[in-house]
Amino acid sequence: MIDFRLLIFMPMLVGFVLFILPESLKIIKGMITLIISAITLYYSFLVFSSDNGISVMPCSIYPPAGNFFALNIDGLSKLIVLFVGFFGFMYALYSLSYVTKEKRLISYYSYFLITLGASFGAALSDNMILFVFFWGLLGLTLYKLIKGYDEASSSAAKKTLVLIGASDSILILGIGLLFKLSGSYHMSEINLTTTSAWANGAFICLLIASFTKAGALPFHTWVPDYVEKAPASTSALLPASLDKLLGIYFLARIIINLFTLTSWATLMLLIVGGITIIAAVMMALVQHNFKKLLGYHAVSQVGYMITGLALGTPLGIAAGLFHMINNAIYKGGLFLTAGSVDKRTGKNDLSELGGLSKLMPITFFAALVFALSISGIPPFNGFYSKWMIYRGIIDFGSGSGIANQLWIVWLVLAVFGSALTLASFIKLISGIYLGRRNPEFEKVKEVSILMWLPQAILALACIVSGIFAATWVIPKLFNFGPLSSGLGDPGMWQSQPVSILILVSLVVGFLIFWMGNMKKHRRSDSFIGGEKLQDELNFSPLEFYKTIGSFKFLAFFYDKAKKKWFDIYHIGKGIILGLNSVFSICHTGILSSYIMWVVAGVAILLIILI
Amino acid sequence: MGKEIFYFLVFPGLIFSGVIGGILSWIDRKITARVQFRQGPPFFQPLYDFVKLLAKETIIPSRGSATTFVLAPVFALFGASISAVFILLPILGVETGFAGDLIVIIYLLNIPSLTFIIGALASGNPLAAVGASREMKLILSYEVPFLLVLISIIIKAGMTINLAEIIEYQAANGAFIGSLSGIIGFITIIMCIQAKLGLVPFDMAEGEGEICDGVIIESSGSILAMFKLTKYIMLFILPALITGLFMSGLSFVGINILWSILKIFAVLLLITLIRNTNPRVRIKQAMKFFWVWMNLFAIISIILAIFGL
Repeated sequence: MIDFRLLIFMPMLVGFVLFILPESLKIIKGMITLIISAITLYYSFLVFSSDNGISVMPCSIYPPAGNFFALNIDGLSKLIVLFVGFFGFMYALYSLSYVTKEKRLISYYSYFLITLGASFGAALSDNMILFVFFWGLLGLTLYKLIKGYDEASSSAAKKTLVLIGASDSILILGIGLLFKLSGSYHMSEINLTTTSAWANGAFICLLIASFTKAGALPFHTWVPDYVEKAPASTSALLPASLDKLLGIYFLARIIINLFTLTSWATLMLLIVGGITIIAAVMMALVQHNFKKLLGYHAVSQVGYMITGLALGTPLGIAAGLFHMINNAIYKGGLFLTAGSVDKRTGKNDLSELGGLSKLMPITFFAALVFALSISGIPPFNGFYSKWMIYRGIIDFGSGSGIANQLWIVWLVLAVFGSALTLASFIKLISGIYLGRRNPEFEKVKEVSILMWLPQAILALACIVSGIFAATWVIPKLFNFGPLSSGLGDPGMWQSQPVSILILVSLVVGFLIFWMGNMKKHRRSDSFIGGEKLQDELNFSPLEFYKTIGSFKFLAFFYDKAKKKWFDIYHIGKGIILGLNSVFSICHTGILSSYIMWVVAGVAILLIILI
Repeated sequence: MGKEIFYFLVFPGLIFSGVIGGILSWIDRKITARVQFRQGPPFFQPLYDFVKLLAKETIIPSRGSATTFVLAPVFALFGASISAVFILLPILGVETGFAGDLIVIIYLLNIPSLTFIIGALASGNPLAAVGASREMKLILSYEVPFLLVLISIIIKAGMTINLAEIIEYQAANGAFIGSLSGIIGFITIIMCIQAKLGLVPFDMAEGEGEICDGVIIESSGSILAMFKLTKYIMLFILPALITGLFMSGLSFVGINILWSILKIFAVLLLITLIRNTNPRVRIKQAMKFFWVWMNLFAIISIILAIFGL
């Protein structure tokens, strides 16, 4: 039997110890973090291959207290634990080279390890109070892992803390409601139907928590701001990977265990999913800052997961969870490549970059693989999970509920979102890696092995989990609970033959090039219709989608989005400041009127109490 | 495994659809010449083009990303051949495909366009970048109507996403083009195919007059040869897909051979005539055309299909 406490508390304890070490020993801290994350990776493998069951900590002094520390080891939590361990190790490796020279990041590794431990805890805990403890801790480390060095970055950090904190308090409210309804704090013991008003209230409270963590509309607004300012390894660790894993994990728990969905709940989830896909990707399309662009995609992809899970069919749930894992792989990878580019060039804007493919070949190919995966190009993993979602939607369409009748809408939103994703990644890839090189980047070099190795491994993971999805990955990972039966045949699209055919076509291409005397090729400057090529003559990839913004209908929304009409933080701030100004009328600064308020208040109290 | 490689390389993949596509492109050019009162090329012209291009010197742009630029046509050819396999196997009745293959086909058909875009951007040529941007916007435009037409077909065929089953359904209940929703869907998909093939009026990605062939401006020699071959294959498999979706597929048994050839020929003739009688539109006009009119057509087709018309 594995001691799960070790998995959860060892990284956290070591994290606290690391606070004591001075910042000048950052490299040693990094090494310790790497070793700890390697150990937790090993442990998470052990957990993944262990038996299911509820683990309760024995407590001799007061036996019921052990009940508080109840862990639920089932297929879903084991899956999450495995990938938390995997990503923790990958990003620890990347951080070693990436973070060490960052002066402003204080106690990065401590918070990194605490994040890791808390994620394991949140994924495993069965008792919801324990769950809230770990869940809330993650919000705090998220806040501490961004470096507040100027106005914009501190306000992004503040926004994140406020939104996550607010959602956590709503989560506590939801758990209170759940306890009132079911009389239990244990997730494995609760099963409600969203019919009564109280149950609906609890359902929505829990959904808000899950949506905010994962970053779905309308609670997504912290994600783009956060990733724009945070170091790339943090963005990869939290908003791209662990927050997605945990947010969607909790959504899956809500849908599979805690509640039985009625048709209106399904409809609501699908609407949120569909709007998240399209709205976020439309925003991504017009971004100039590549980190922010990735941030909007981190939001958009959540829509697919929600859509998959909302279908409620085994195929849909498996598709949603598989997409969650795939997304964590390629989105984390994309943030790592973004960090590498940022590190080497110091630029974050697409308009200032270009032509880095030759100078940073490994980063480029990794980024290309991630971009094709996220755009759903076969045979990469993103395609497979999206295809499962589409099939799930069409199967779902045969049902009779109102959400089922609207299957065409969900399908079109999902497929069109995928095309838009492709469009914005064409912009990203061409803006950073292809096109003309800015002369100032001639001396840019590939990043060190510690940084490109995680990128390469994640890219490989994209390819492998796409190719062996049907035969190996899905049967291995998704054989629990409702998914163990009735998954249909997810694997009739055999990716292995397709991959062999790619190799065959490479050979064919080589043969054609060989026949065509490719050896005698000539390098020459571009031909631009007889005009002389000048350095300033460049077609910036930023111009790509100007046409889209010129449609009146879309221009309206872009304009309003720019004015933050859809930002729930901004709206909330407006409301609170408005209330402030109303209440500040009472604050006249005249003592006698204050005394009058006090006396009046006491009088009212007395009247009520008597 | 040997079977798959045979499918991919010989029949119905690379060689078969390449040859048929070449013949179709000759027909297309011959008709175009006739429309313009010209003589037109000899029958073997597509082959001559291909072989001659192989013999030509290949120029690789010195400022771009060479590896990506050289690999792009290889993947274009891969995308076209693999879509040929997935489309033609059920349509020719060789194998039945699998559940959900229609969605796979949509995605595979995007690979050639995508590689054109990536190849163009890798060349570092500003005109190619203009072409690439237009091509991408074109994909965004026709993706939704294309999908909507497929949805109307899925509804008509009783919620199946399997191409072979759709063809079977038509064999039993009559071709979809015979119904009202089928006709509207057919018009829509022809327009989408026109854009997918990059033919006038939707050839702005290659606009010869203004951006000197846009996406393929830097391609020469073997690279251009492979792009040409890709286009031949696409010229065959897209009309073939239409025959499968609307005209109960192709068959090469007995008298059906004649019918099959006529079906392909009819679709090709339509495409060729559209391209010869229209001017090129601007990209914004094209986007508006697809987003407003073609979507409307496709939605009407879906509504009619729901009511069984």
